[in-house]
Amino acid sequence: MTTPSAAKAGDAVISIRGVSMSYGGRRVLDRVDLDVCRGEILVLLGGSGSGKTTLLKHVLGLAKPEAGSIAINGVDITRCSQSELSAVRRRIGVAFQGGALFNSMSVEDNVALPLRELTRLADSTIKLVVWMNLMAVGLADAGSLYPPELSGGMRKRAGVARAMALDPEILILDEPSAGLDPIVSAELDQLILFLKRSFGVTILVVTHELESAFHIADRVAMLYQGRLIAVDKKEQFAGHAHPRIRQFLDRQPDAMPRVAAEEFIASYLRGSNT
Amino acid sequence: MTFLEQVGQAAIVQLEDAGALTMQFWSVLLKLPRILPIVGARRRWRSAVEQMLTIGASALPMAGAMSLCSGFILALQSASELRRFGALELVVEVIVIAFTREMGPLVTALSVSGRSASAISAEIGTMVVTEEIDALRVMGLDPVEFTLAPKYLAALITVPCLTILSTFCGIFAGYLFLAFSMDMSLRIYFHAVAQAMLLRDVAFGLVKSLVFATIIVHVGCLEGLRVRGGPEAVGHSTTAAVVKSTFLIILADLGTTAIFYLMGWSSTG
Repeated sequence: MTTPSAAKAGDAVISIRGVSMSYGGRRVLDRVDLDVCRGEILVLLGGSGSGKTTLLKHVLGLAKPEAGSIAINGVDITRCSQSELSAVRRRIGVAFQGGALFNSMSVEDNVALPLRELTRLADSTIKLVVWMNLMAVGLADAGSLYPPELSGGMRKRAGVARAMALDPEILILDEPSAGLDPIVSAELDQLILFLKRSFGVTILVVTHELESAFHIADRVAMLYQGRLIAVDKKEQFAGHAHPRIRQFLDRQPDAMPRVAAEEFIASYLRGSNT
Repeated sequence: MTFLEQVGQAAIVQLEDAGALTMQFWSVLLKLPRILPIVGARRRWRSAVEQMLTIGASALPMAGAMSLCSGFILALQSASELRRFGALELVVEVIVIAFTREMGPLVTALSVSGRSASAISAEIGTMVVTEEIDALRVMGLDPVEFTLAPKYLAALITVPCLTILSTFCGIFAGYLFLAFSMDMSLRIYFHAVAQAMLLRDVAFGLVKSLVFATIIVHVGCLEGLRVRGGPEAVGHSTTAAVVKSTFLIILADLGTTAIFYLMGWSSTG
């Protein structure tokens, strides 16, 4: 597959170096190193509480890490000024988990919002761009609806349309397939692949849905307890030997609590016998 | 934990509250000009107008009815005493002074606080939970300018207007009472009102209402922004917003009244 920016493939658009963070004494991120290369789809996998949402917040500059640096297009967003951060954010589109659409505005106005606020385009141009973006996500006829009237999948697609409005270099998707039925989820996967193919955007997807992850990913990274335990091409990743990854991929339940309980009972019985 | 530690902890929490309120107040104050028509960002004043409708206009029936009732109550209570001195006409003065200085702003603030402090914190809290605030930040739009400032402007404009209207309602309730009890005509009543009303008292009431408006919108926004976690946290924040704003309104009422009293501005005649 050739993408418009395939020639430049290989250089890191987002490079995360040694990022650590803890809340209330608990390590949420532990020296995370990760590169997202130009034009690829990197899927960040992880269970609940693995720190993937926290990592995402750091990449977006919504939180500052205790240690480490995050460079986006060469600008270290953990140390740059507010105006530099704004400039970096202009090149990033983010689709939040629930869409994060503004309920008081129609879908069209939601998509138009960044264009109206951050560009000096004429209204007619904005209308056209909005229509094109809604077309791309398959919501061309839902533009006049309000977010509460949309289904979960439509809301996520509208979120993607808004994220794409400013024609970003990097698209970040938070749990694009969570809470969707398999058909809608597959449609979203199609959409993500379509965006990569036709616009050459670099895409970072955060998810815990295995099937869609392996369908769309070029590379897969896995977070576990705040640590990045593997980053690999998806073909290699599927054969990875790390026990946590095997457990995750084979959908095995956590055996640890039962073992711990048995050990506890055993030691208790030993103690009461002596 | 020792008693001393508990006191210290509580004091720190209160100080943090006060600090957060002050910080937020400054950041909004700096952004207010951006909301105004002509000088501000394009289209932003429209959201301020929308907020005026939800905070101000829709609170009108409630504030009016509350003032009408409390005006009537005040008339009944003071009349039973004043009648003993054969000075029933003085009810007019009691009502006018009480409403322009005190009851008008207070009743309005309490009704707006019950309706809007909770509504504001619920709206902003929901925006936090659904990541809309994060979305604004990531898009490079300032949530303070975008969602908070229009509410401040709306409250600062509409609450004084409501105060004037509810003061009028309270005074009108006094007329209803006197018309029934001693057949006073509307003409005579309003002549007496004009005699008793002082511009100074009206200005005093309006200053108070501005303070109350700030408290309502301020506490509502802060409690909303503090929401962490799921939708149930929004419920807690709305309760906290109403309780805190009501309490702070009474406290501020005491403060402003005491200042006016100590400066000798509140003596009549």
